[in-house]
Amino acid sequence: MKPPFPIEIDGKVIQVTEGQTVLEVCQANGIDIPVMCHFEGLPDVGACRLCLVELKGVPKLLPACTLRVAPNQVINTQTEKIKKYRKMIVEALFCERDHVCAICVANGNCELQDLAKKVGVDHMRFPDILQPLELDASHPYFVIDHNRCIMCTRCVRVCAEVEGAHNFDIKNRSYKVRIISDFNQPWGESKTCTSCGKCVAVCPVGALWSKSSYQGKIEKKKEAICDLIRKRKVNV
Amino acid sequence: MTKKDNQKDEAMQQLMKDPRFKLLTAVIKKNQNQSDTLIQILHQAQNLFGYLPMPVIKYIAEALSLPPSQVYGVVTFYNFFSLKQKGEHTCLVCTGTACYVKGAEKILAAIHEKYGIKPDETTQDNKFGLQIARCLGACGLAPVAVVDNEVVSKVRVEDFMPILEKKIGGKP
Repeated sequence: MKPPFPIEIDGKVIQVTEGQTVLEVCQANGIDIPVMCHFEGLPDVGACRLCLVELKGVPKLLPACTLRVAPNQVINTQTEKIKKYRKMIVEALFCERDHVCAICVANGNCELQDLAKKVGVDHMRFPDILQPLELDASHPYFVIDHNRCIMCTRCVRVCAEVEGAHNFDIKNRSYKVRIISDFNQPWGESKTCTSCGKCVAVCPVGALWSKSSYQGKIEKKKEAICDLIRKRKVNV
Repeated sequence: MTKKDNQKDEAMQQLMKDPRFKLLTAVIKKNQNQSDTLIQILHQAQNLFGYLPMPVIKYIAEALSLPPSQVYGVVTFYNFFSLKQKGEHTCLVCTGTACYVKGAEKILAAIHEKYGIKPDETTQDNKFGLQIARCLGACGLAPVAVVDNEVVSKVRVEDFMPILEKKIGGKP
């Protein structure tokens, strides 16, 4: 056991140990930080930038999920600047692709929707990009709708790290970025997919759903995946 | 086996007959089939074939025991790798801010007028391919173009087109 040391978060002094991330510390101490790409147990990539925090002495904002604690850190998580940025990021997520709640399977059960309510996004200041993308329903059980994807890459990570199949990955970059299956094939033709459905369970929005669910009635067993990862770690 | 699988195997067999394929296997062997040498191997494959045909990517993924999607992701992420044939001669025009101001757009328009191709396209006879770059980092030389790996700097359209024609060999 490494010796604990103190760091300061939002004016509170908290005892932490080496190796922890700032996000872990905040969640353990009841400090609310919105997250999107972070999923308990999966490796963090810092893709969504929603968990940005201010670290004293560093001019830019840093994502809490990949920021490791170090001695003498002074961190602020709720400043006006951060709140402004968070709101803007959520708005950007909304206008990048086609997010119409009324016709979405995940309506009422969507992390993006909840987040928009939380940070107070009620309208969009930016014009929609609205690039109609394809919907891949070639898989016998599941559907991927790229229009609703927010590129959190949770499905990519759960498939590679937990299931071990690595069916998904991402191609291209910037606004051309897409989730792909194998060699950019239809999902149904994938040779690596085991049809386990873990990707569907961790998807925060309605981009992945099973064919048995219909509008607003999606069921996502997120706790089951968290449990699975935790138990495996204990057993290892 | 389905018809589609048969077709795929044919593509693979054709690849195996290719003399360049032997060189590729040698490169992979030299790197001991290590998955972390993916980028070096893709680099070599791109140099050998001029672009990365699908059977080559599949073979590399198989040889390095890497997930297909990951290899495809790496190939599409880096600008250097290309899934399409690049053409015998290539021209890369910088469209960064400085080059844009100095008239890179005019150069692209002139190329389009003469050869009928836009960025990321090649002529039908596969002789000439046009690419654009966001910035080559040589803004002092603006506008910059790279014709067959040779930098052409501070060019005006009138001067540039003869240079290009000379390199490509006249007619489109």
